[in-house]
Formats: sequence, structure tokens, C-alpha cells
Amino acid sequence: MLLRIVMLAGIACAQTQLAAILNVTGDVSSPLHLKAEDMAKMPRETVSVKEEDGTSVQYEGVMLREILTRAGAPLGKSLRGKALTTYVLAKAHDDYAVLFALAEVDAAFGNESILVADKRDGKPLFGYQGPFRLVCPNDKAGARSVRMLETIEIVRLRK
Amino acid sequence: MRILLLMIAFLAPDASDPWTWNLPKGFPKPRVPADNPMTVAKVELGRYLFYDTRMSVNGKSSCATCHKQELAFTDGRAVSVGATGESHPRGAMSLVNVAYSGALTWSNPRLKDLEEQALTPMFGEHPLELGLREGDGFVPMLRADAKYRILFEQAFPADTDRFTIQNVTKAIACFERSIISARSPYDRYHYDRDDTAVSDSAKRGEILFFSQHLSCFRCHGGFNFSDATVSENSARREIEFHNTGLTYAAPNVGIYEFTKSAADIGKFKVPTLRNIAITAPYMHDGSIANLEGVLDHYSSGGHDHPNKNPLIGGFKLSTQDRADLITFLESLTDEAVLHDPRFSNPWQPAVSAR
Repeated sequence: MLLRIVMLAGIACAQTQLAAILNVTGDVSSPLHLKAEDMAKMPRETVSVKEEDGTSVQYEGVMLREILTRAGAPLGKSLRGKALTTYVLAKAHDDYAVLFALAEVDAAFGNESILVADKRDGKPLFGYQGPFRLVCPNDKAGARSVRMLETIEIVRLRK
Repeated sequence: MRILLLMIAFLAPDASDPWTWNLPKGFPKPRVPADNPMTVAKVELGRYLFYDTRMSVNGKSSCATCHKQELAFTDGRAVSVGATGESHPRGAMSLVNVAYSGALTWSNPRLKDLEEQALTPMFGEHPLELGLREGDGFVPMLRADAKYRILFEQAFPADTDRFTIQNVTKAIACFERSIISARSPYDRYHYDRDDTAVSDSAKRGEILFFSQHLSCFRCHGGFNFSDATVSENSARREIEFHNTGLTYAAPNVGIYEFTKSAADIGKFKVPTLRNIAITAPYMHDGSIANLEGVLDHYSSGGHDHPNKNPLIGGFKLSTQDRADLITFLESLTDEAVLHDPRFSNPWQPAVSAR
């Protein structure tokens, strides 16, 4: 599947080296503040993305599903009833934000392999891409593959 | 004597010599027509033709007249001027990385092969560029020239009649496809991960360029900074053309000239931004003198037009932002391609007028 990685990045940021922490916050039992070394210890996955100009890149990182599970988001058997009103807000450095329903990444529902990437072709993400970004390989458009990802906020609409 | 002949045979390029692209990481193989594979000998013949002013009606112009290496194969003019002084309505486009161009010229969606495109400057009459005509002295000149006899034999050894316009355009196309720029400071930063290759200002400019707020990358994205980019492995697709809120007086009406659809008025191809800092003036008609003016245009949002791309909506830039964006664009200049002897004029001054 072709995926044009188009999206977002931080604007007007005073420095090019950002604090390399990914915050996983909101309605979860165990908020996370992940550094590259924390990500390195988690199960690693790679996703290949082919762009319209014919180039291919390999992103490496941790599945969003894995990170949400570790934060205590209601996945698996817990994803039922009111928990199905849970969404995930992915926010970038410049306040750009996109939303996923939690069920999109759950194995019993959408089972989407959305990746929180920290490496591209084997090298740490940097500049306008990093240090963290999302890669949504099944999205036809690139707008949800948020670059310069800073926060993943879990919101439960009905409790 | 035999040893000398063997040495000559060894040194001379041969049509069977495979072409090596030497592409850096991040650059795909260009798409090449099946009937004109790249060879060392065709690229070399194409280089001689590209710089030969005998390829014009009055011996005054060559391809290189409007496509000067030191200006990233543009001519520094708002609009180009043909051999007899006639002005073209549009500016000469850079030939750097033209091998990746999904359509050629500013606004012809049907023109996709360099072999075909070369016929326009050679034989076109409106406007007249090189001014060649069928049956003129150009092909007899090639046949009579000692250098060309060798070059054509090496480039097209199997042809019974090598001296054809078709072979001329094939060789020029091979030379043009060989002009690849991939060694700018930005490439050293982005692909080679050399943090010292560009300044902090350029790094900030890159982030602005790729921001949702400015969205420059939406049209000027990818390794070639143009959404008109194709390569060997890209799917066959029609590239997009864009109305960016400039003015579109005839004959500069964009792809409408060919499609005759009102929705296409003012839609032009997205040029690569590689080497953009040295290819002023800008836009299809050379109407903007410098990069500051280009930022003025896009930050103002341009003129209203029913076909204007909705991404062109204007944005605010601080003085620092403007400086950072321009520093970033300057980091896309590849000094190597501007001076690489492989792309330079092979003729001695005595042979070629310029």
C-alpha cells in the first residue's frame, strides 16, 4: 500500500534539539514518560513505508498498542462497554493533534499496526521528524502519521 | 602498435559499458525509457551535443545557453531567449535531477520523456529556440565531424545510420538524466547525519518548512522537494499541477493550454527546490526576483483565483523565521553539481563558440 507521509511538525521552535521524552498521559492507571532508552527495552517492530516518489523507508519503534497497554489503557478484555468510548489524542511539538479510537489498535477490533517510531532506516529520528513520530501504514493519507510527537493523551468519554 | 590500439580500446567508452548511477542513500533509481537505456557512451555524446552551438540556426545557441551548469542548468533570466532573440513566455527550468521529473516543462502534462521534449527547443517555431529545421545542415555536420563520428559509433554501434535526430535526442536525454544533485549540505545533514553540515538557522528553517502551519512540504516534499517526482519503483501516476495564486495572462495559462479545462487555468508543475538559491528569478514567468519575494508571495496567500490550491492561504512569519527559511533553502545548494567536470562543456573553445 502506498502511503504518502505527509504531516506535521513543530513550528517556530527555538531549538532543534527537543527534550526526548514521550509523555503518555490522561485516563490511564500508569502514565509513562518514555525516553529513547525505555523504548529500546520494549518489544521492537519495524514498518516499511513506500512513498509516491518510489522511495522506501523503514521505521523502527514500539507499537502504539504496546505502549497503551503498558500505560494501563483498557485494551484486550477490558475494552468493552463504556471503555469503548476511549480515544487517543496524539499531539505534536507545535500543538498539531490527531485522534484515534482506542479500538483501532486493539487486536480484537481494528488491530491497526500503528507504530511509535524512534528510528528511520536504523538511525534515531531527528530534526523535523523526531525524536518520536507515529507511522500509520494503513492510512492512505499521511496526516495522522504525526511527526515530532510529544504527547499521547488517553481520554475516556464515559466512565 | 598493437599495445597502443588495445589501450585505446580499453580507455574509450563503449556502448556496452553499463551506467553506474552512484546514487546516495535516500535516492531511488530514476525511471529510464526501455528503448533508451543509459550507457557511458550515450551520456558522453549527449554532453558534446548539449554544449554544441552548431545545434542552432545561426551557431549562437546550444542547450547550455538556457541551461548553464553554474546556475544549476538555468539561465538567470526571467524568461529565456532563443538563438534569434525571440523571448520564451516562461523561464528555463533547472535540469538538475530532471531524471526524476514526472512531467516535463512547466505545464505540459503529456510530455514525460526527455527524448521527446528535446525536439521542442530544437525544432519549435513558437517560440523559436534553437531554430533547427528538417533538412538543414545539422545532421550533415554531425556526419562530417571527426569527433562525432567516433562518439556516435561508440554510442550507437549497432545502427546502420547512426546520425539521426532520434539518436541525437536519445543521447541528450541520457546526458540530462545523468545530472543528479544529492550532495548539498542539507543531504549531508539529513542523510549522512552530519550535524555540522548546516547551521542551527537552517535546522530551524527545515522544521518551519515541514510544519503544518506553512505546509511548504505538501508540494515540495520528498527527496527531490517536488511532488512531481517519479522514479523506477514509483507507481505509474499522473502528477499534480497547482495554481498558487500568481497571475496567469495568456499564454501562461498552465496546463489549461493542453487540457482546455477551466479548472486547470493557472496550474503549473512544482519545481524541485534543490539549488533553488541560485536559480532566481522565480516562478514560471520569472515574476519574483528573489527568495524573499517568494516568501512574501506565499505568506500573503497570493491572488484569489477559483483554482488556487487551498494550501495557499497565507501565514505569518517573524523576521527570524524568514531568515531561517532562506538559510534552509540555501542549504539545498549542491556546489558539486555546479562544478562537476562530468557535466561541463567538453569542447575546446576553438570548436565551440561558447
